[in-house]
Amino acid sequence: MDDLIFHHRSQHWVLSPHKAIYWQEEQALIVSDLHLGKSAHFRKAGIAVPANIVQEDLFCLQKLITLYQPLRIIIVGDLFHSVANNDIAYFRLWRQQFAHLAFELVQGNHDILRPALYAELQVQVHTHLQLRNIYFAHDAEEALPQKKYVISGHIHPGVVISGMGKQSMRLPCFYFGKKYAVLPAFGKFTGLASVAPEPQESVFVIADQQVLQWQ
Amino acid sequence: MVQTTRGWTVVMEWLEARGQQPFTFQEEAWEQYLLGKSGMVNAPTGYGKTFSLFLAVIIAWINEHPNDFQRTAKNGLQLLWITPLRALAKDLGRAMQEVVDELGLAWQVGIRNGDTPTSMRTAQKKQMPEVLIITPESLHLLLGQKHYPSVFTHLQCVVTDEWHELLGTKRGVMVELALSRIKNLVRNNWSNDLRIWGISATIGNLEEALEVLLGHDAAHGVIVRALINKEIALKSILPDGIEELPWAGHLGIRLLDKAIPIIEQSRTTLIFTNTRSQAEIWYQEILRRYPDYAGAIALHHGSLDMELRIWVEDALHTGRLKAVVCTSSLDLGVDFRPVDTVIQVGSPKGVARFLQRAGRSGHQPGAVSKIFFLPTHSLELVEAAALKEAMEENFIESRPPVVLAYDVLLQYLMTLGISDGFYAHQIWQEVTSTFCFQDMTPEDWQWALSFLTTGGEALHSYDEFRKLERNGNFYACHSRQLALRHRLHIGAIVSDAMLKVKFITGGYVGVVEEYFLSRLSPGDAFSLGGHNLEFIMIKDMTALVRKSHAKKTIVPSWNGGRIPLSANLGKMLRKKFQEAIAGHATDPELIALQPLFALQAHLSHIPSAKELLIEKINTKDGHHLFVYPFEGRLVHQVMAALLAFRISMHHPITFSIAMNDYGFELLSDQPIPLNDDNVKALFSLQDLNTDLQRSINATEMARRKFRDIAVIAGLIFQGYPGRNKTNRHLQSSASLLFNVFRDYDPQSLLLRQAYNEAYFYQIEEARLRDMLGRIENHSIVITQPERLTPFCFPIKVDSLRENLTSEKLSDRIKKLQQQNFRPVDDKPSKPAKPTRAGTPRKLL
Repeated sequence: MDDLIFHHRSQHWVLSPHKAIYWQEEQALIVSDLHLGKSAHFRKAGIAVPANIVQEDLFCLQKLITLYQPLRIIIVGDLFHSVANNDIAYFRLWRQQFAHLAFELVQGNHDILRPALYAELQVQVHTHLQLRNIYFAHDAEEALPQKKYVISGHIHPGVVISGMGKQSMRLPCFYFGKKYAVLPAFGKFTGLASVAPEPQESVFVIADQQVLQWQ
Repeated sequence: MVQTTRGWTVVMEWLEARGQQPFTFQEEAWEQYLLGKSGMVNAPTGYGKTFSLFLAVIIAWINEHPNDFQRTAKNGLQLLWITPLRALAKDLGRAMQEVVDELGLAWQVGIRNGDTPTSMRTAQKKQMPEVLIITPESLHLLLGQKHYPSVFTHLQCVVTDEWHELLGTKRGVMVELALSRIKNLVRNNWSNDLRIWGISATIGNLEEALEVLLGHDAAHGVIVRALINKEIALKSILPDGIEELPWAGHLGIRLLDKAIPIIEQSRTTLIFTNTRSQAEIWYQEILRRYPDYAGAIALHHGSLDMELRIWVEDALHTGRLKAVVCTSSLDLGVDFRPVDTVIQVGSPKGVARFLQRAGRSGHQPGAVSKIFFLPTHSLELVEAAALKEAMEENFIESRPPVVLAYDVLLQYLMTLGISDGFYAHQIWQEVTSTFCFQDMTPEDWQWALSFLTTGGEALHSYDEFRKLERNGNFYACHSRQLALRHRLHIGAIVSDAMLKVKFITGGYVGVVEEYFLSRLSPGDAFSLGGHNLEFIMIKDMTALVRKSHAKKTIVPSWNGGRIPLSANLGKMLRKKFQEAIAGHATDPELIALQPLFALQAHLSHIPSAKELLIEKINTKDGHHLFVYPFEGRLVHQVMAALLAFRISMHHPITFSIAMNDYGFELLSDQPIPLNDDNVKALFSLQDLNTDLQRSINATEMARRKFRDIAVIAGLIFQGYPGRNKTNRHLQSSASLLFNVFRDYDPQSLLLRQAYNEAYFYQIEEARLRDMLGRIENHSIVITQPERLTPFCFPIKVDSLRENLTSEKLSDRIKKLQQQNFRPVDDKPSKPAKPTRAGTPRKLL
């Protein structure tokens, strides 16, 4: 895996090509927008998308946990896609193997399960979270009045990279702006929204299992 | 002898009383029908094609009820009449009801389509009218109702009107599937002698059209041809001197003053343009230069408010309008008797489309259809000559039928699932009897069934997929919610994301593509429906606007405006060029173009039918290579990428690519290593498949095709009308679904279909192969002109238009013009800001 360590706000952020950040100082793994249960939600409604995406996503998260051995996992919103379904039952089983690892969910607009269910799944739910000088929120826009540096998700950011012959492609990215940062969406069944960063801001794209600094 | 039957006599007497006489082809159709045959009637519009079949059904009815044919009422559905256009239904129904009433039959003629009110539908359910005029979509909705088979108990005949329009589309596949079901039902359950007929204008593959319509029964089908040669007078609008016509351009406004006298001398004129934006510009320009026409001319295109369009159509009927600027929106439809002249602005790109449009004038039998061709740039005049000869030779394009449209099949199976359910073995028999699915394998069929029952996966305990439920060999849907949602999704027309445009004070203007609006800022002015509008905001999926007094407005560029040149017209075009160089051209267009040909011949060369011309030209921009296969822009696009790839394999080099319908251009900053020695190899058929895959982005093309497929197959949930928000969690883009399938279910037949459609429609692989095969036997002429030639000029300008903003474009054109001492189009198009993939979200 080709990680990249980024110094920002006097902290060390390890950017993984698997769309996660490992925060060295806090030994925390940060992910966003997993949208677990999305394919099951679609399938339950008769839309035949492939079924095994949740297994893939969780297997990927499992590998990251084994690699970094974090003390806690911070999810900056949209852990689950919608109402309860059998993908969540799968998550419950999967969760057991990391019973002692704390899962801290900063609530996103998709996180609409009953509070009791989160408790059963051993997921602590926060409206926001603050560690050191960093403020975690799902949607950065709403957290800006806090006047703190925000780490967020929600957007599923991507940048358009255009080349010769009118060819262009859109790649998922980590965005570190002046006031806030945005993580790429972790889930494999998620789309991308193009962002237009300012020239002096830092953007890292993920391409070919690598994290590359774009600007 | 059928001619002595009661029905025949009654109908003949009735016609006589009206002072009418049947055409020979009508009598022939009646005869074949009475003999129990199925088949197809091939007749031009305006010559009683409707009566050729409608009266046949009436005659048969009278024959079977010779004594009480006037008395019996409530006979159940006798004739199902499928028409692609809702707009046709009303007039058709009126004409049929008139006949029925005059003959004193107690029949009802009903209409069923998206506009039919619920009360009417319910009444129809209780008592079906004897004749039902229906669209393919409404027919499928009918098959999606409980106890639908009883509707067809008494059915005698199904007629598919305008079959040439449906053939070659997925709506045509919907008709094939519905017919397979109805045929089997009627013949097996009630042993009626069901007859299937189609009505088609002349197309290149009439026999195949019959085969597609009748499926397995095609061998017994007959084609009844109306041997009526509709007289079409084509005249080109020529400038006073050929040098007045620009070398490049696509608007044609420069010749507007020449079009006005034609409009003046005619009763009503239809002005056909190729795109909606062109129609908007023409409409505004006519009013600007000829303000007296206010109120006497109108605009008609697919993005305008339905009410406005209906008003225009009514005004056309009553002859209140002097002229209407329109697009393909008026290609089809009912006859507008007052229309006696048609002006086609720019190339119609195909023979069939041109005939169709010409036929919009002089609708009465025997009348001459007058059509004027108004060129937008000089070389287009050759197309006028080519069209003329193609029409004389009846060299009309074929409509290749759609095969193995799994998306439509999935939708159809679900439709049967929500009504009475179905037995798989029975439907397999029916489906494989259609032309579309005759080559479907049992494995593919199993895939389709499992896609609907288990969502394509082997059953496992976690899966909650539900759609169809299986009980032995019987499949049905038991969820009311799913059934409701499916009903809303029936259909095979997938439109782009469109937003309504409304005045802030109320009043609906029309629709524009979301993509266009996303590039506007509040205060920007744009034109729609002849109004200058100021954009205020988007609210609830509606763009709010107010009247603008801005002098300059942006005209929306609706996507899909560019139709490529058809293979038939391309072939005729090459022939005309050959005539021009051989010096025996007789067409006035070619004679007018002689100075241009002379310049082309002087600077470079004019290719004969057995030559491929390549021009190598150096300009300040770099090294250009122009190639002229005359095969249409789609083929050229692929061809250009292929050639660029093959050259770059031997030599590191970068190109930029441009193309039009006549040829394409490769531009590089270094000399392009193409010469007499290697040119044949570069155009070789060898390794075509591998080279194609490496040179074009087939995945991107397939991804674009996947959108329609995903919608038709029911993968994209568009929400309930008026209840969009509650289902947000079920929304996803086609592009995302494409990725997910590619990564996790690459065997999906829907993906395979997307690639097939890309190869067939986008890459036009067959045509590309034909072309390369032809080039193998051609001699290739490479010239090195010192400056731009009349042939290459439009390609070069076209390429600029795609890459630069309007200001820069006009500068560039001015510069080019000075180089060449020739005028270009008076009003270059304004491609607004450069396009990008999606609108980037501005970070705070």
